Amino acid sequence: MPHLDFSLLLHGQYREWLLSGFLFSVALTGLTLLFALPLSLVVALLRLAPSKLAQALGFAWVEGVRSVPLLVHMLFWYFAAPEALPESIKTWLYAHDIEATASLIALTIYTSAYMAEDIRSGLRAVRGGQLQAALALGLSYLGSMRWVILPQAVRVTVPPLISQTLNLWKNTSIATVIGAAELMYQAQRVETASFRGFETFAVVTAAYLGMSLFITALAQLYQWRYPLRVS
Amino acid sequence: MSFTRRNVATRILALTAAAFGLTLASGAHADQLDDITKKGELVVGVLGTDEPNSFIDPQSREIIGYEVDLARAVAQKLGVKLKIKQLAVAARIPELQQGHVDLLAASLTHNKEREAVIDFSLTTFVTGQKVLVKTSSGIKNVADLNGKKVVTIKGGTQEPNIRKAVPNVDVVTFETGPQAFQALQQGKGVAFVNDEVSLLDQHAKLGAAQAQYTILPQNLSVEPLAIGIKKGETALKKVVDATLRDLEKSGDAEKLFYKWYGPNTKLKFPTRSFKINSDKVEA
Repeated sequence: MPHLDFSLLLHGQYREWLLSGFLFSVALTGLTLLFALPLSLVVALLRLAPSKLAQALGFAWVEGVRSVPLLVHMLFWYFAAPEALPESIKTWLYAHDIEATASLIALTIYTSAYMAEDIRSGLRAVRGGQLQAALALGLSYLGSMRWVILPQAVRVTVPPLISQTLNLWKNTSIATVIGAAELMYQAQRVETASFRGFETFAVVTAAYLGMSLFITALAQLYQWRYPLRVS
Repeated sequence: MSFTRRNVATRILALTAAAFGLTLASGAHADQLDDITKKGELVVGVLGTDEPNSFIDPQSREIIGYEVDLARAVAQKLGVKLKIKQLAVAARIPELQQGHVDLLAASLTHNKEREAVIDFSLTTFVTGQKVLVKTSSGIKNVADLNGKKVVTIKGGTQEPNIRKAVPNVDVVTFETGPQAFQALQQGKGVAFVNDEVSLLDQHAKLGAAQAQYTILPQNLSVEPLAIGIKKGETALKKVVDATLRDLEKSGDAEKLFYKWYGPNTKLKFPTRSFKINSDKVEA
């Protein structure tokens, strides 16, 4: 075994780089969640809507997005998509943090496809009679969802959504390929500068693991605090 | 008592760590030169994305180049087959340390910091690192990059060098040179930092668009390139150095230089400003 020395990484500049990478990854996860949740709800409702066109749209979104690797999404939203924008918007965007923006868009779209499926299955777990009863009482489709189905579906849906958040947290690491300064990006930077690859990736692994375990604990806590109620 | 419990535990630990893909120097082992002769194969890590050092020939789809020819000469000297393995810039030194490749001929800069972790052959090429900018940006020298966003490659000496030259610069790094260059062309940064040779090559490939780009005259650093050898493999280093010395003496090294860099190539170097004769670098 080589001699392991973590002190180099836990002080000064290298610690600063790793910490900024960690915070970037956390922020990226949080922001993606913020945008992906409403988007995935819309997609799930499309898939369950009475209209055939809406169903087809929802289906196309989910299958189209999740059939393509996240790496390809990243490269597409960074190198290809912004090129189609008008010159003035493009110039403005490129002068700002296009790396973070592109990775946020790619992750939001990618995550939304998976979360939509979790939400859809949660909604389907509420018995069909409930929707029919709500409609019979004169509520619209959206009204039935808002007042009858969604509140019941939340308890079923939250645990798998937390599990998707865990995937999302790990997926942020792919953003390194488009130069977004997340944890993996900073880790490679530290490794290049310090030649301490073993220690660097040990620290980074611990950071990913720690955050992942925290997210898992949240899921456990939720299930304990809000157990499933059978309607 | 070679098979003590501690030994086994060490092996399991080493295997586990290797499985995680972590950088780990393996323990005591036989001389690498013997291993290569026994295998009958010399595995050389190259970039494959850095014309003319190593790149994919569009006709044959094989990796060719100046460094590939040097590697072939070493394999011939050893009387073994040459196997080329393509590596990412950031993966070069870890792959060599873990023994996945026997040598690195991968546009590898020989510098003092790296001497602590690997050994180097005689210097095989001398290049400088420079900066390519869009002519319309109005940037005339390196100092103008202060506060600007520049793009370059992950895992090389480019990022440290530009930060040293312009402390207040914003750097974004990519996996390969062509990706970073693409980002510059799209305007995602104002400048592209790379070895002069790579910049000249990429500039030449632009064709009619060449006038839109300028290579700044200042050198960020002088980069002596060399073949990377695993630390402490002195027998292997001796063979590599002897091969290079023979190439220099016979004039073949000069021929190789003109074949890949000379006036008839895209790079159009008029003369060769160095000789393959030293493995020392300045701090």
